Amino acid sequence: MNSSPVIAVTGLHRGENPQPGSAVIRSLRRVYPELRIIGLVYDSLESGLFSEEDAPDAAFTLPYPSAGIDAFWNRLDAIRETECFDVLIPCLDAEMAPLVESPEKLRERGIHACLPSWQSFQARDKSKLTELCERTHCRTPQTIAVNDVNSLHQAAATFGGSVFVKGRYYEAQLASTPAAREAAYWHMIEQWGAPVLVQERIEGEEYNVIGLGDGRGHILGSCSMRKMLRTASGKGFGGMVVRDPQLDAIAQSLIAELRWNGPFELEFVKPDGPRSDYSLIEINPRFPAWCDFPSTLNCNLPAAALELALGWQPREPLRRATPGKFFIRHAIDMTGDIRDLAALTTTGQLIRQPSEPIAHAALTHNS
Amino acid sequence: MKLALPPVLLCHNGHQQNRDIPVVQPAAPAAQSLAFDFHTITWQADGFGFDATTGEFFTASPTALLVMQSLSEKLHRQQILDRITATFEVTRSTAERDLESFLAELAHLGLDDTAN
Repeated sequence: MNSSPVIAVTGLHRGENPQPGSAVIRSLRRVYPELRIIGLVYDSLESGLFSEEDAPDAAFTLPYPSAGIDAFWNRLDAIRETECFDVLIPCLDAEMAPLVESPEKLRERGIHACLPSWQSFQARDKSKLTELCERTHCRTPQTIAVNDVNSLHQAAATFGGSVFVKGRYYEAQLASTPAAREAAYWHMIEQWGAPVLVQERIEGEEYNVIGLGDGRGHILGSCSMRKMLRTASGKGFGGMVVRDPQLDAIAQSLIAELRWNGPFELEFVKPDGPRSDYSLIEINPRFPAWCDFPSTLNCNLPAAALELALGWQPREPLRRATPGKFFIRHAIDMTGDIRDLAALTTTGQLIRQPSEPIAHAALTHNS
Repeated sequence: MKLALPPVLLCHNGHQQNRDIPVVQPAAPAAQSLAFDFHTITWQADGFGFDATTGEFFTASPTALLVMQSLSEKLHRQQILDRITATFEVTRSTAERDLESFLAELAHLGLDDTAN
Protein backbone atom coordinates (compact mmCIF):
# COMPACT_ATOMS: atom_id res chain seq x y z
CA MET A 1 0.00 0.00 0.00
CA ASN A 2 1.13 3.53 -0.76
CA SER A 3 2.18 5.70 2.19
CA SER A 4 -0.74 7.94 1.31
CA PRO A 5 -3.47 5.81 -0.25
CA VAL A 6 -4.45 6.31 -3.86
CA ILE A 7 -8.19 6.11 -4.49
CA ALA A 8 -9.88 4.98 -7.70
CA VAL A 9 -13.42 6.19 -8.42
CA THR A 10 -15.76 5.35 -11.32
CA GLY A 11 -18.86 7.05 -12.70
CA LEU A 12 -17.63 10.56 -13.49
CA HIS A 13 -20.26 11.70 -15.96
CA ARG A 14 -22.67 14.30 -14.62
CA GLY A 15 -24.97 14.67 -17.59
CA GLU A 16 -28.73 14.37 -17.74
CA ASN A 17 -28.57 11.33 -15.47
CA PRO A 18 -25.67 12.30 -13.23
CA GLN A 19 -23.34 9.59 -12.00
CA PRO A 20 -22.00 9.71 -8.42
CA GLY A 21 -18.22 9.62 -8.97
CA SER A 22 -17.54 13.35 -9.10
CA ALA A 23 -19.63 13.92 -5.98
CA VAL A 24 -17.63 11.19 -4.21
CA ILE A 25 -14.36 12.88 -5.21
CA ARG A 26 -15.59 16.26 -4.00
CA SER A 27 -16.63 14.79 -0.65
CA LEU A 28 -13.32 12.95 -0.17
CA ARG A 29 -11.38 16.14 -0.82
CA ARG A 30 -13.43 18.05 1.74
CA VAL A 31 -11.85 15.89 4.45
CA TYR A 32 -8.68 14.63 2.77
CA PRO A 33 -7.53 17.35 0.33
CA GLU A 34 -4.14 15.67 0.02
CA LEU A 35 -5.54 12.40 -1.40
CA ARG A 36 -4.46 11.28 -4.83
CA ILE A 37 -7.58 10.24 -6.71
CA ILE A 38 -7.77 8.57 -10.10
CA GLY A 39 -10.84 8.29 -12.27
CA LEU A 40 -11.77 5.10 -14.08
CA VAL A 41 -13.92 6.04 -17.06
CA TYR A 42 -15.70 4.32 -19.90
CA ASP A 43 -15.75 7.34 -22.17
CA SER A 44 -13.29 10.14 -22.79
CA LEU A 45 -16.17 12.63 -22.60
CA GLU A 46 -17.20 11.84 -19.03
CA SER A 47 -17.80 15.37 -17.82
CA GLY A 48 -16.15 15.01 -14.41
CA LEU A 49 -12.76 14.76 -16.14
CA PHE A 50 -12.96 18.42 -17.09
CA SER A 51 -14.21 19.93 -13.86
CA GLU A 52 -11.98 22.41 -12.06
CA GLU A 53 -13.16 21.22 -8.65
CA ASP A 54 -14.03 17.53 -8.96
CA ALA A 55 -11.58 16.23 -11.52
CA PRO A 56 -9.36 13.29 -10.61
CA ASP A 57 -5.58 13.69 -10.63
CA ALA A 58 -5.39 11.12 -13.40
CA ALA A 59 -7.84 9.08 -15.42
CA PHE A 60 -7.78 5.73 -17.17
CA THR A 61 -10.24 4.15 -19.52
CA LEU A 62 -11.99 0.89 -18.69
CA PRO A 63 -13.55 -1.54 -21.16
CA TYR A 64 -17.36 -1.56 -21.22
CA PRO A 65 -18.92 -4.35 -19.14
CA SER A 66 -19.97 -6.05 -22.37
CA ALA A 67 -16.27 -6.84 -22.99
CA GLY A 68 -16.46 -9.36 -20.16
CA ILE A 69 -15.10 -9.72 -16.67
CA ASP A 70 -11.64 -10.91 -17.72
CA ALA A 71 -11.11 -7.78 -19.78
CA PHE A 72 -12.07 -5.73 -16.72
CA TRP A 73 -9.56 -7.41 -14.40
CA ASN A 74 -6.82 -7.36 -17.04
CA ARG A 75 -7.31 -3.66 -17.56
CA LEU A 76 -7.35 -3.01 -13.81
CA ASP A 77 -3.99 -4.82 -13.51
CA ALA A 78 -2.56 -2.80 -16.40
CA ILE A 79 -3.72 0.46 -14.80
CA ARG A 80 -2.17 -0.51 -11.48
CA GLU A 81 1.20 -0.95 -13.16
CA THR A 82 1.07 2.79 -13.86
CA GLU A 83 -0.97 3.92 -10.88
CA CYS A 84 -1.11 1.38 -8.08
CA PHE A 85 -4.32 2.47 -6.41
CA ASP A 86 -5.19 1.10 -2.98
CA VAL A 87 -8.93 1.70 -2.71
CA LEU A 88 -11.70 1.27 -5.27
CA ILE A 89 -15.02 3.08 -4.91
CA PRO A 90 -17.33 1.73 -7.63
CA CYS A 91 -20.18 4.10 -8.39
CA LEU A 92 -22.12 2.37 -11.15
CA ASP A 93 -24.72 -0.38 -10.73
CA ALA A 94 -23.42 -2.55 -13.54
CA GLU A 95 -19.95 -2.70 -11.94
CA MET A 96 -21.16 -3.91 -8.60
CA ALA A 97 -22.10 -7.54 -9.25
CA PRO A 98 -18.70 -8.79 -10.47
CA LEU A 99 -16.91 -7.00 -7.63
CA VAL A 100 -19.29 -8.22 -4.94
CA GLU A 101 -19.24 -11.73 -6.38
CA SER A 102 -15.44 -11.99 -6.25
CA PRO A 103 -14.12 -9.91 -3.36
CA GLU A 104 -11.09 -12.20 -3.18
CA LYS A 105 -9.92 -10.81 -6.53
CA LEU A 106 -9.73 -7.39 -4.92
CA ARG A 107 -8.10 -8.74 -1.76
CA GLU A 108 -5.39 -10.67 -3.59
CA ARG A 109 -4.46 -7.47 -5.43
CA GLY A 110 -4.35 -5.51 -2.19
CA ILE A 111 -7.30 -3.34 -3.22
CA HIS A 112 -9.53 -2.17 -0.39
CA ALA A 113 -13.24 -1.63 -0.99
CA CYS A 114 -16.35 -1.14 1.07
CA LEU A 115 -18.73 -3.66 -0.46
CA PRO A 116 -21.75 -5.67 0.71
CA SER A 117 -21.67 -9.45 0.88
CA TRP A 118 -22.98 -11.35 -2.13
CA GLN A 119 -25.92 -12.53 -0.03
CA SER A 120 -26.88 -8.97 0.96
CA PHE A 121 -26.41 -7.76 -2.57
CA GLN A 122 -28.70 -10.43 -3.96
CA ALA A 123 -31.36 -9.91 -1.29
CA ARG A 124 -31.86 -6.27 -2.33
CA ASP A 125 -32.10 -7.08 -6.04
CA LYS A 126 -35.11 -5.47 -7.69
CA SER A 127 -36.64 -8.88 -8.33
CA LYS A 128 -36.31 -9.82 -4.62
CA LEU A 129 -37.70 -6.66 -3.05
CA THR A 130 -41.06 -8.20 -2.26
CA GLU A 131 -39.48 -10.96 -0.17
CA LEU A 132 -37.20 -8.51 1.62
CA CYS A 133 -40.11 -6.22 2.39
CA GLU A 134 -42.19 -9.09 3.70
CA ARG A 135 -39.43 -9.93 6.18
CA THR A 136 -39.10 -6.30 7.29
CA HIS A 137 -42.82 -5.40 7.21
CA CYS A 138 -42.17 -2.64 4.73
CA ARG A 139 -44.50 -1.78 1.89
CA THR A 140 -43.27 -2.08 -1.68
CA PRO A 141 -45.01 -1.78 -5.04
CA GLN A 142 -45.82 -5.14 -6.59
CA THR A 143 -43.12 -6.10 -9.07
CA ILE A 144 -43.00 -8.89 -11.64
CA ALA A 145 -39.89 -9.94 -13.54
CA VAL A 146 -40.62 -10.72 -17.20
CA ASN A 147 -38.59 -12.24 -20.00
CA ASP A 148 -40.96 -11.86 -22.95
CA VAL A 149 -43.52 -9.42 -24.32
CA ASN A 150 -46.58 -11.55 -23.53
CA SER A 151 -45.58 -11.72 -19.88
CA LEU A 152 -44.96 -7.97 -19.98
CA HIS A 153 -48.55 -7.24 -21.03
CA GLN A 154 -49.98 -9.76 -18.60
CA ALA A 155 -48.08 -8.20 -15.73
CA ALA A 156 -49.15 -4.70 -16.79
CA ALA A 157 -52.79 -5.81 -16.96
CA THR A 158 -52.49 -7.11 -13.40
CA PHE A 159 -51.48 -3.63 -12.26
CA GLY A 160 -54.12 -1.73 -14.24
CA GLY A 161 -52.13 -0.94 -17.37
CA SER A 162 -50.06 2.04 -16.30
CA VAL A 163 -46.77 0.65 -14.93
CA PHE A 164 -43.10 1.34 -14.54
CA VAL A 165 -40.92 -0.75 -16.84
CA LYS A 166 -37.52 -1.01 -15.21
CA GLY A 167 -34.09 -2.18 -16.27
CA ARG A 168 -32.38 -4.93 -14.34
CA TYR A 169 -29.71 -2.55 -13.02
CA TYR A 170 -30.87 0.94 -13.83
CA GLU A 171 -33.50 3.09 -15.49
CA ALA A 172 -37.26 3.13 -15.32
CA GLN A 173 -39.90 4.32 -17.75
CA LEU A 174 -43.55 5.00 -17.04
CA ALA A 175 -45.59 3.25 -19.72
CA SER A 176 -49.35 3.50 -20.04
CA THR A 177 -50.03 1.97 -23.47
CA PRO A 178 -49.08 -1.41 -24.95
CA ALA A 179 -46.85 0.30 -27.52
CA ALA A 180 -45.06 2.33 -24.86
CA ARG A 181 -44.59 -0.79 -22.71
CA GLU A 182 -43.09 -2.75 -25.58
CA ALA A 183 -40.76 0.10 -26.53
CA ALA A 184 -39.62 0.39 -22.92
CA TYR A 185 -39.22 -3.38 -22.66
CA TRP A 186 -36.94 -3.64 -25.68
CA HIS A 187 -34.98 -0.60 -24.56
CA MET A 188 -34.32 -2.19 -21.16
CA ILE A 189 -33.39 -5.52 -22.75
CA GLU A 190 -30.93 -3.78 -25.04
CA GLN A 191 -29.41 -1.64 -22.29
CA TRP A 192 -29.39 -3.93 -19.29
CA GLY A 193 -30.36 -7.43 -20.38
CA ALA A 194 -33.08 -9.70 -19.02
CA PRO A 195 -35.15 -9.83 -16.95
CA VAL A 196 -37.14 -6.62 -17.20
CA LEU A 197 -39.11 -5.56 -14.14
CA VAL A 198 -42.74 -4.47 -14.34
CA GLN A 199 -43.69 -2.45 -11.28
CA GLU A 200 -47.03 -1.24 -10.03
CA ARG A 201 -47.33 2.53 -10.27
CA ILE A 202 -47.76 4.38 -7.00
CA GLU A 203 -48.20 8.12 -7.25
CA GLY A 204 -46.86 10.36 -4.54
CA GLU A 205 -43.88 12.21 -3.21
CA GLU A 206 -40.49 10.50 -3.50
CA TYR A 207 -38.09 10.19 -0.58
CA ASN A 208 -34.52 8.90 -0.64
CA VAL A 209 -32.25 7.80 2.18
CA ILE A 210 -28.50 7.74 1.66
CA GLY A 211 -26.40 5.93 4.22
CA LEU A 212 -23.47 3.76 5.15
CA GLY A 213 -23.88 0.31 6.69
CA ASP A 214 -21.26 -1.31 8.91
CA GLY A 215 -21.96 -4.89 7.77
CA ARG A 216 -23.31 -5.86 11.19
CA GLY A 217 -26.75 -4.36 10.83
CA HIS A 218 -26.05 -0.80 11.93
CA ILE A 219 -26.22 2.45 10.01
CA LEU A 220 -23.11 4.53 10.65
CA GLY A 221 -24.68 7.65 9.19
CA SER A 222 -27.56 8.63 6.96
CA CYS A 223 -29.44 11.53 5.44
CA SER A 224 -33.04 11.52 4.22
CA MET A 225 -34.48 13.86 1.65
CA ARG A 226 -37.64 14.52 -0.33
CA LYS A 227 -37.17 15.04 -4.04
CA MET A 228 -38.19 18.63 -4.68
CA LEU A 229 -37.43 18.73 -8.37
CA ARG A 230 -37.53 15.83 -10.78
CA THR A 231 -36.29 15.51 -14.34
CA ALA A 232 -38.46 14.05 -17.08
CA SER A 233 -36.93 10.66 -16.30
CA GLY A 234 -37.68 11.02 -12.58
CA LYS A 235 -34.16 11.83 -11.40
CA GLY A 236 -33.95 14.12 -8.41
CA PHE A 237 -32.64 17.54 -9.40
CA GLY A 238 -33.28 19.08 -6.01
CA GLY A 239 -33.94 17.67 -2.56
CA MET A 240 -34.95 18.83 0.92
CA VAL A 241 -33.58 17.21 4.07
CA VAL A 242 -36.33 15.62 6.17
CA ARG A 243 -36.29 13.87 9.50
CA ASP A 244 -39.13 11.41 9.94
CA PRO A 245 -38.79 8.77 12.68
CA GLN A 246 -40.97 6.42 10.60
CA LEU A 247 -38.62 6.66 7.63
CA ASP A 248 -35.58 6.23 9.88
CA ALA A 249 -37.12 3.10 11.41
CA ILE A 250 -37.83 1.56 8.01
CA ALA A 251 -34.27 2.28 6.83
CA GLN A 252 -32.82 0.79 10.01
CA SER A 253 -34.97 -2.31 9.66
CA LEU A 254 -33.93 -2.90 6.04
CA ILE A 255 -30.21 -2.38 6.67
CA ALA A 256 -30.33 -4.58 9.78
CA GLU A 257 -32.04 -7.37 7.82
CA LEU A 258 -29.50 -7.10 5.02
CA ARG A 259 -26.52 -6.58 7.36
CA TRP A 260 -25.46 -4.16 4.68
CA ASN A 261 -21.82 -3.18 4.40
CA GLY A 262 -20.98 0.02 2.56
CA PRO A 263 -22.87 2.80 0.88
CA PHE A 264 -26.53 2.51 -0.05
CA GLU A 265 -29.47 4.53 -1.23
CA LEU A 266 -33.05 3.58 -0.38
CA GLU A 267 -35.74 4.97 -2.68
CA PHE A 268 -39.30 5.36 -1.44
CA VAL A 269 -42.57 6.76 -2.67
CA LYS A 270 -45.23 7.97 -0.26
CA PRO A 271 -48.75 8.24 -1.67
CA ASP A 272 -50.53 11.54 -1.15
CA GLY A 273 -52.63 11.69 2.00
CA PRO A 274 -52.05 12.35 5.66
CA ARG A 275 -51.75 8.76 6.86
CA SER A 276 -50.03 7.01 3.95
CA ASP A 277 -47.03 4.73 4.37
CA TYR A 278 -43.66 4.76 2.68
CA SER A 279 -43.30 2.21 -0.09
CA LEU A 280 -39.82 0.98 -1.02
CA ILE A 281 -39.12 1.30 -4.74
CA GLU A 282 -35.54 0.06 -4.82
CA ILE A 283 -32.20 -0.16 -3.02
CA ASN A 284 -29.14 1.12 -4.83
CA PRO A 285 -25.92 -0.65 -3.74
CA ARG A 286 -23.72 2.44 -4.06
CA PHE A 287 -23.61 6.16 -3.43
CA PRO A 288 -26.15 8.24 -5.35
CA ALA A 289 -25.26 11.34 -7.37
CA TRP A 290 -26.39 13.63 -4.52
CA CYS A 291 -23.92 12.16 -2.00
CA ASP A 292 -21.91 15.36 -1.70
CA PHE A 293 -24.90 17.34 -0.46
CA PRO A 294 -24.93 15.71 3.02
CA SER A 295 -21.16 16.25 3.12
CA THR A 296 -21.81 19.99 3.14
CA LEU A 297 -23.90 19.39 6.27
CA ASN A 298 -21.22 17.52 8.25
CA CYS A 299 -22.41 14.09 7.14
CA ASN A 300 -19.56 13.09 4.83
CA LEU A 301 -20.45 9.52 3.93
CA PRO A 302 -17.86 9.01 1.13
CA ALA A 303 -15.08 9.97 3.56
CA ALA A 304 -16.56 7.62 6.15
CA ALA A 305 -16.71 4.83 3.55
CA LEU A 306 -13.04 5.37 2.75
CA GLU A 307 -12.16 5.20 6.44
CA LEU A 308 -14.25 2.05 6.81
CA ALA A 309 -12.52 0.42 3.83
CA LEU A 310 -9.06 1.23 5.21
CA GLY A 311 -9.89 0.55 8.86
CA TRP A 312 -9.08 4.14 9.77
CA GLN A 313 -10.47 6.06 12.70
CA PRO A 314 -13.00 8.62 11.44
CA ARG A 315 -11.48 12.08 11.07
CA GLU A 316 -14.87 13.75 11.49
CA PRO A 317 -18.01 12.39 13.18
CA LEU A 318 -21.09 11.86 11.03
CA ARG A 319 -23.80 14.29 12.10
CA ARG A 320 -27.51 14.38 11.33
CA ALA A 321 -28.31 16.83 8.57
CA THR A 322 -30.72 19.57 9.59
CA PRO A 323 -34.22 19.39 8.06
CA GLY A 324 -34.86 22.38 5.84
CA LYS A 325 -31.46 22.33 4.17
CA PHE A 326 -31.88 21.60 0.49
CA PHE A 327 -29.89 21.23 -2.70
CA ILE A 328 -30.62 22.36 -6.21
CA ARG A 329 -28.57 20.92 -9.05
CA HIS A 330 -27.00 23.49 -11.34
CA ALA A 331 -25.71 22.52 -14.78
CA ILE A 332 -22.76 24.52 -16.05
CA ASP A 333 -20.46 24.39 -19.07
CA MET A 334 -16.86 23.32 -18.61
CA THR A 335 -13.89 23.84 -20.85
CA GLY A 336 -11.87 20.93 -22.13
CA ASP A 337 -8.83 20.69 -24.35
CA ILE A 338 -8.47 18.47 -27.39
CA ARG A 339 -5.08 17.30 -26.08
CA ASP A 340 -6.80 15.68 -23.09
CA LEU A 341 -9.25 13.91 -25.36
CA ALA A 342 -6.39 12.74 -27.54
CA ALA A 343 -4.46 11.37 -24.58
CA LEU A 344 -7.41 9.41 -23.25
CA THR A 345 -8.48 8.16 -26.65
CA THR A 346 -5.08 7.04 -27.87
CA THR A 347 -3.30 5.91 -24.71
CA GLY A 348 -6.26 5.26 -22.41
CA GLN A 349 -4.85 7.52 -19.74
CA LEU A 350 -4.78 11.17 -18.80
CA ILE A 351 -2.48 12.67 -16.20
CA ARG A 352 -3.82 16.09 -15.30
CA GLN A 353 -1.44 19.02 -15.58
CA PRO A 354 -1.92 22.28 -13.69
CA SER A 355 -4.11 24.56 -15.77
CA GLU A 356 -2.41 27.18 -17.89
CA PRO A 357 -3.20 30.77 -16.95
CA ILE A 358 -5.18 32.64 -19.58
CA ALA A 359 -3.34 35.82 -20.50
CA HIS A 360 -5.44 38.98 -20.24
CA ALA A 361 -5.52 40.94 -23.50
CA ALA A 362 -4.55 44.18 -21.77
CA LEU A 363 -1.50 42.55 -20.22
CA THR A 364 -0.50 41.06 -23.55
CA HIS A 365 -0.65 44.44 -25.26
CA ASN A 366 1.36 46.10 -22.51
CA SER A 367 4.10 43.55 -22.53
CA MET B 1 -53.83 21.26 -1.04
CA LYS B 2 -56.27 24.15 -0.88
CA LEU B 3 -58.27 25.39 2.02
CA ALA B 4 -61.36 27.52 2.18
CA LEU B 5 -61.01 31.27 2.14
CA PRO B 6 -60.40 33.58 3.82
CA PRO B 7 -58.29 31.52 6.21
CA VAL B 8 -55.96 29.99 3.67
CA LEU B 9 -53.02 27.64 3.71
CA LEU B 10 -51.13 26.68 0.58
CA CYS B 11 -48.68 23.84 0.17
CA HIS B 12 -45.55 24.39 -1.88
CA ASN B 13 -43.88 21.09 -2.59
CA GLY B 14 -41.20 22.76 -4.56
CA HIS B 15 -43.17 21.96 -7.70
CA GLN B 16 -44.33 24.92 -9.74
CA GLN B 17 -47.61 26.49 -8.74
CA ASN B 18 -49.22 29.56 -10.20
CA ARG B 19 -51.88 30.28 -7.66
CA ASP B 20 -52.24 33.70 -6.16
CA ILE B 21 -52.12 33.86 -2.43
CA PRO B 22 -55.21 35.69 -1.16
CA VAL B 23 -54.40 38.41 1.27
CA VAL B 24 -56.49 39.14 4.31
CA GLN B 25 -55.81 42.58 5.66
CA PRO B 26 -55.86 42.78 9.41
CA ALA B 27 -57.94 45.66 10.81
CA ALA B 28 -55.65 45.84 13.78
CA PRO B 29 -52.26 44.33 14.40
CA ALA B 30 -52.65 40.62 15.08
CA ALA B 31 -51.02 39.23 18.16
CA GLN B 32 -47.46 38.63 17.06
CA SER B 33 -45.61 35.64 18.34
CA LEU B 34 -42.55 33.63 17.61
CA ALA B 35 -42.65 30.31 15.79
CA PHE B 36 -45.16 27.72 16.92
CA ASP B 37 -45.76 24.09 16.08
CA PHE B 38 -49.07 22.87 14.71
CA HIS B 39 -48.93 19.10 14.22
CA THR B 40 -45.66 18.45 12.38
CA ILE B 41 -45.43 21.91 10.84
CA THR B 42 -43.42 24.73 12.37
CA TRP B 43 -44.98 28.09 11.53
CA GLN B 44 -43.17 31.38 11.50
CA ALA B 45 -44.87 34.67 12.32
CA ASP B 46 -44.65 35.69 8.65
CA GLY B 47 -46.91 32.79 7.63
CA PHE B 48 -44.24 30.43 6.31
CA GLY B 49 -44.53 26.84 7.52
CA PHE B 50 -42.13 23.91 7.18
CA ASP B 51 -42.84 20.26 7.87
CA ALA B 52 -39.53 18.62 8.83
CA THR B 53 -40.97 15.11 8.47
CA THR B 54 -42.14 15.53 4.88
CA GLY B 55 -39.99 18.40 3.61
CA GLU B 56 -43.11 20.24 2.46
CA PHE B 57 -43.46 23.95 2.98
CA PHE B 58 -46.51 26.14 3.13
CA THR B 59 -47.76 29.67 3.25
CA ALA B 60 -50.76 30.65 5.32
CA SER B 61 -52.84 33.81 5.41
CA PRO B 62 -52.76 35.80 8.65
CA THR B 63 -56.21 34.45 9.51
CA ALA B 64 -55.21 30.83 8.97
CA LEU B 65 -52.09 31.42 11.02
CA LEU B 66 -54.11 32.88 13.86
CA VAL B 67 -56.52 29.93 13.83
CA MET B 68 -53.74 27.32 13.82
CA GLN B 69 -51.88 29.14 16.58
CA SER B 70 -55.09 29.24 18.60
CA LEU B 71 -55.63 25.52 18.03
CA SER B 72 -52.07 24.80 19.10
CA GLU B 73 -52.86 26.69 22.32
CA LYS B 74 -55.92 24.44 22.78
CA LEU B 75 -58.35 27.34 22.60
CA HIS B 76 -62.04 26.59 22.19
CA ARG B 77 -63.97 27.73 19.12
CA GLN B 78 -65.60 30.64 20.89
CA GLN B 79 -62.22 31.82 22.09
CA ILE B 80 -60.84 31.51 18.56
CA LEU B 81 -63.76 33.55 17.23
CA ASP B 82 -63.09 36.17 19.90
CA ARG B 83 -59.52 36.36 18.76
CA ILE B 84 -60.44 36.58 15.06
CA THR B 85 -63.00 39.35 15.55
CA ALA B 86 -60.61 41.24 17.81
CA THR B 87 -57.84 41.05 15.27
CA PHE B 88 -59.61 41.39 11.92
CA GLU B 89 -62.37 43.60 10.63
CA VAL B 90 -64.99 40.89 10.24
CA THR B 91 -68.44 40.19 11.63
CA ARG B 92 -68.79 37.33 14.05
CA SER B 93 -71.19 35.47 11.77
CA THR B 94 -68.79 35.66 8.82
CA ALA B 95 -65.87 34.65 11.02
CA GLU B 96 -67.88 31.73 12.35
CA ARG B 97 -68.75 30.51 8.86
CA ASP B 98 -65.16 30.83 7.65
CA LEU B 99 -63.78 29.15 10.76
CA GLU B 100 -66.11 26.16 10.30
CA SER B 101 -65.04 25.87 6.70
CA PHE B 102 -61.36 26.07 7.61
CA LEU B 103 -61.70 23.49 10.38
CA ALA B 104 -63.43 21.16 7.93
CA GLU B 105 -60.45 21.51 5.60
CA LEU B 106 -58.05 20.78 8.44
CA ALA B 107 -60.09 17.69 9.25
CA HIS B 108 -59.88 16.61 5.62
CA LEU B 109 -56.10 16.91 5.85
CA GLY B 110 -55.99 14.90 9.06
CA LEU B 111 -55.08 17.96 11.12
CA ASP B 112 -58.22 18.13 13.22
CA ASP B 113 -57.40 16.35 16.44
CA THR B 114 -56.73 19.59 18.28
CA ALA B 115 -59.95 21.16 17.00
CA ASN B 116 -62.69 21.32 19.58
